[in-house]
Amino acid sequence: MRRWLWTALTILMALLLETALGRLVPGGPRLFDAFLLVTVYCSLMGGETHGMLAGMCAGWVQDIHFAGPVLGLSAFTKLLVGYAVGVGGGHFLIVGPAARALVLLLATLADALVFQWLAAVFDVRALDLSPLALASRATVNAVVGAVLFELLDRRLARRFAE
Amino acid sequence: MAAVLDARRSRFLLVGLVLLHLVAISHQVDGGGGASLLQRAIFGVFSPLQNAVSAVVRGISGAWTGYVSLRGTREENGRLAERVRVLETLLQERAHLAREAERLRELLGLREILPLDTVVAEVVTRDGLPWYRTITIDKGSDDGLALEAPVISPTGVVGRIIALGPRAAKVQLLQDRDSGAGVLIERSRVSGVVSGQVGFSDTGSSDLVMKYVRDLADVVAGDVVVTSGQDRVYPKGLVVGRVRSVGKGSGLFKEILVEPSARFDQVEEVLVVRKVKSPLTFKQRVDAVGTR
Repeated sequence: MRRWLWTALTILMALLLETALGRLVPGGPRLFDAFLLVTVYCSLMGGETHGMLAGMCAGWVQDIHFAGPVLGLSAFTKLLVGYAVGVGGGHFLIVGPAARALVLLLATLADALVFQWLAAVFDVRALDLSPLALASRATVNAVVGAVLFELLDRRLARRFAE
Repeated sequence: MAAVLDARRSRFLLVGLVLLHLVAISHQVDGGGGASLLQRAIFGVFSPLQNAVSAVVRGISGAWTGYVSLRGTREENGRLAERVRVLETLLQERAHLAREAERLRELLGLREILPLDTVVAEVVTRDGLPWYRTITIDKGSDDGLALEAPVISPTGVVGRIIALGPRAAKVQLLQDRDSGAGVLIERSRVSGVVSGQVGFSDTGSSDLVMKYVRDLADVVAGDVVVTSGQDRVYPKGLVVGRVRSVGKGSGLFKEILVEPSARFDQVEEVLVVRKVKSPLTFKQRVDAVGTR
């Protein structure tokens, strides 16, 4: 219960961050996906079930606030990403900033590609990201995410130590 | 073990959530033609499978009806053939009854028009001897018939009663060469006498001959010939036939052939006049002609 409460809180914070970013830095949300970070962190920390449910919720929030006429595409992609990262986290030891950066990179790529594929299948008009834009997005997510995750880990470790 | 169960549970959850999202997204996307894209996609995937299954089932049922279920077909065929024979016989009877009903309806129509006291009689036999043209009907003196009573049909005059029993009567047809009836041409009112030409063993024509018509009389082919009532046998105004040809006879008279309107060989039911109530009016004569 407490875990879900924290998850909901982080999703809310992601929403506020994306909103602020959109107003402060034009085009900023295209480069940085806070909801994806929430999904990946929940998957790494809580496993594939927690990850996919958190991703689904984050995706729905993202769709409701930022998506076009068709809702559910982001939720679908983050659901899959959350599950995949959770399974990967169970099989591989994903600790340290480098490993997590790599995971974030791959997760961002997967999220974007699945989204574009889904939009094409359902004939939903969505802007395709160029390879450069995709690479930029993945890099920013990876770097920011890795740093954030590291800070969170240290905070939590200090708290548990207390 | 618990980890395996957890992994399985999470997989099921994933599949369920994926399907849920696909449904939710497809409901928002119109695939064209009113159906959601998911519906069209699923239909597109499963309809070939359905077609394949349907073809297999059709093949199996075809083999069943083509071979296995043919046992007993020979007996069934025999039963059906017998039933067809019975039904064909019934159909012929029904057709005969229908024709009889039609004839009786015609007769009834004529009966209502004519101011004559008539009785319907059925033809029982015809042409018992080769010298005469006669029919026998199933009504006699018990039904109020009398000798010399005129016999008519919806198409025209048939003849007169020449022999009478309590429940049967013999009718001499107008075809017979010994018959005769007083007639006149309806148009020009030229009078004469018709009699038949048929004698022994079908010699002679079936046309009637109209005699004692003066050479200067106004008669042309096509004229309608009706009874004149002057012979005191046939009521006035009954149709006898139409003039087929007019020629020059020997002496002072024309030679006129009349095609009889009554179908002597086909008549099944006739009207026998018991009493003349009143002379026919012009309209009644016209209506009587119209029933032919």
